[in-house]
Amino acid sequence: MFDEKDLILEAKHVTRRFPAAKGKVLTACNDVNLKFYKGKTLGLVGESGCGKSTFMRFLVSLDKPSEGEIIYRGQDITKLKGEKLRQNRQNIQMVFQDPATSFNPKMKIRDVICEPLLNFKRIKPSEKKEKAKELLEMVELPGEFEDRFMHNMSGGQRQRVAIARALALEPEIIVMDEATSALDVSVQKTIIELITKLQREKGITIGFICHDLGLIQSFAHQVAVMYLGNIVEVMPGEDIGENCRHPYSKALLASVFDIKMDFTKKIESIDSEIPSPLDMPPGCPFCDRCDQCMEICKQEHPVLKEIAPGHEVACHLY
Amino acid sequence: MAMLEVNNITISYGDRPTVKDFSMTLEPGKICSLVGESGSGKTTVIRAIFGLLPGGGKVTEGDILFEGESLLSYKKDQWRKLRGSDISMIFQDSGAMMNPTKRVGAAFTEYIRTHENISKAAATKKGIEMLERMRLPSGDNVMRSYPFQLSGGMRQRVGIAMGMTYQPKLLLADEPTSALDVTTQAQIVRQMMELRENYGTSIIIVTHNLGVAAYMSDHIIVMKNGVIEDQGDRDHMLYHSDNEYTHKLLDAVPSIGGVRYV
Repeated sequence: MFDEKDLILEAKHVTRRFPAAKGKVLTACNDVNLKFYKGKTLGLVGESGCGKSTFMRFLVSLDKPSEGEIIYRGQDITKLKGEKLRQNRQNIQMVFQDPATSFNPKMKIRDVICEPLLNFKRIKPSEKKEKAKELLEMVELPGEFEDRFMHNMSGGQRQRVAIARALALEPEIIVMDEATSALDVSVQKTIIELITKLQREKGITIGFICHDLGLIQSFAHQVAVMYLGNIVEVMPGEDIGENCRHPYSKALLASVFDIKMDFTKKIESIDSEIPSPLDMPPGCPFCDRCDQCMEICKQEHPVLKEIAPGHEVACHLY
Repeated sequence: MAMLEVNNITISYGDRPTVKDFSMTLEPGKICSLVGESGSGKTTVIRAIFGLLPGGGKVTEGDILFEGESLLSYKKDQWRKLRGSDISMIFQDSGAMMNPTKRVGAAFTEYIRTHENISKAAATKKGIEMLERMRLPSGDNVMRSYPFQLSGGMRQRVGIAMGMTYQPKLLLADEPTSALDVTTQAQIVRQMMELRENYGTSIIIVTHNLGVAAYMSDHIIVMKNGVIEDQGDRDHMLYHSDNEYTHKLLDAVPSIGGVRYV
C-alpha cells in the first residue's frame, strides 16, 4: 500500500540499552524496524515508558542507538559526526510537547522562529522580521505576533509557533512528541487540521507520538503500537478501529472513552501495572498481562509477521 | 433536600469576577461533571465548594449549601472537621499533594490520626486496608514507598484511597485522569464508578475529556468564560443539545472510526 520508492527513512534493528543500577540493563527499544514514507504520517502509540520518545529521539539525532542503523538519504545518520551531523539536522526537525518550557522565555517570537535559519546562514539578520511574519502567517497566526514573547500567547498559539520554527528550515521529516496532548480538545483539532494541511502542501513526513488512539486514527497513514520497547503491531491508520489484532492494541482500544461508545457496557481495562523494563520476560513482552496467553508465549519471543498488506503483528495467535 | 446546593455564586479574584452566577444541585449518589476549555472556571468552582480558593479568591455573591448549611460562613476548625470526612478531594497529581520527603505511610497515618484518635499502628493498619480496597497490591509496600517511587496510576489510587478513608458523602475530583495513560485512566474511572456503587458517594468531576464525562456522569455542565453555557443529562448533551458551543466541543473530540483528515 505504500510505494517503496517513496521510502524516505528506514530504521533497521534499532536497539537502545541503558545501564541501570546493580549491573542490570534497561532495554528501551528492542529491535525496532520502521519505515517512513514521503508525505505520510507514522503514528507511534503506547503507554508511558514504552520507548516511543526514545526511538523518535534517534531520528533527530538527540541520542544514538546501541545497535542498529537509521538510513536516511542512503546514509546511516546514527554514524554522522561534526559538521555532517549539523548539516543533517536541517532535514529532520522536532516539535516538543510543551512549547512553554522548550523555548527561551526571554526571546521574542521572531528570534525563536528565525534562530535555525540564522544558524544555517539561510537568511541575513536584517531579513528576520520579514521571514518571521511569513512563517507566522503560514501557521495561521497574525504576522504582528513576531514582536511578542512566548508568555503572551495561549497554548495553541505557542504550539503553532513551535510548528513554524520546525518548518522554517523546510525539513523533509518532522517528529512531533505528543505535540497536542497539553491542549484543549477544540484547540487540538485546529492544530491537527493545520498539520495535515501543511503536510499536503509541502509533502512533509511526520512521525507523531501519541497515546490517544482516537486522535491518531484521524490523521495517521500508518500506526505502530509499541509495548515495552517492542513494536507489537504496525497497521494502516484506517485499520485501527476495526482491524487491530494484537491483544495489547485491542486492550488500548477498549480503554478509550469515546463520545460515540456504548455507555451501558462496562469499561474494560488491563488491571495490572506495566511491568518494569528491567526484568523482561523471555517470551512475549505482553504475556503476563494478556488474557489469551499460551504456553509458547512464555518461552518464545514473537516476531512481526505480515497478515495483510501493510499490516504486521507480533503475536503467536496469528 | 439536595445534598449540595450552589446558588448563583460569583467568584472573584480581586475585583474581577472569574465565575459568574453559577448554580448547581447534587443529589446523593449522583455524578456530575464540569467540562470546558482551560480557563473556563471549572476548577475555581470546585475549589470554592471545598473552601480552597487560592489567596485573593472570594465568593462575592450567592451561597453554597452542604446538607442545608452554608459553607461560606465556616470557620477554620469547622472546615477541618468537614474536609476529609464529609467532603474530600482528589487532585490532578496526587503525588504533588504529598510531602516528597515523607513516605506515603507517614502522610497517610498523619491524615488518619487528625481525624480519629487512634494509635499509629492502628492507623497504619487502616491505611493498608484502604489501599488494598483500592486494588493496590501489597499495601504495606506502598506505605513504605516515597511518592516518587510510585507510578502515576498508583499515586492516583493512593489519592483516592486517602480521600475515601472516611467514606465521604461528596468526592470532588479535579482532572483526576488527565495526567494518565489511556489504560490507567480506564482503571481509575472504573474505580470511581465503583465508589458510587459501593458507598453511594456523590462525585463532582472536573475534566476536559468529554468521553470520560459522558461515560461517568448523570449530569454534565459545560462552562465557558466563567458561566454555564449548557447543561443536561448525557443523552441531552450528546444528541439533543442545540447549543453551538457544545457542538463545537463534541466535534473536536477525536473518535475511533470518526473523521479522517487524510
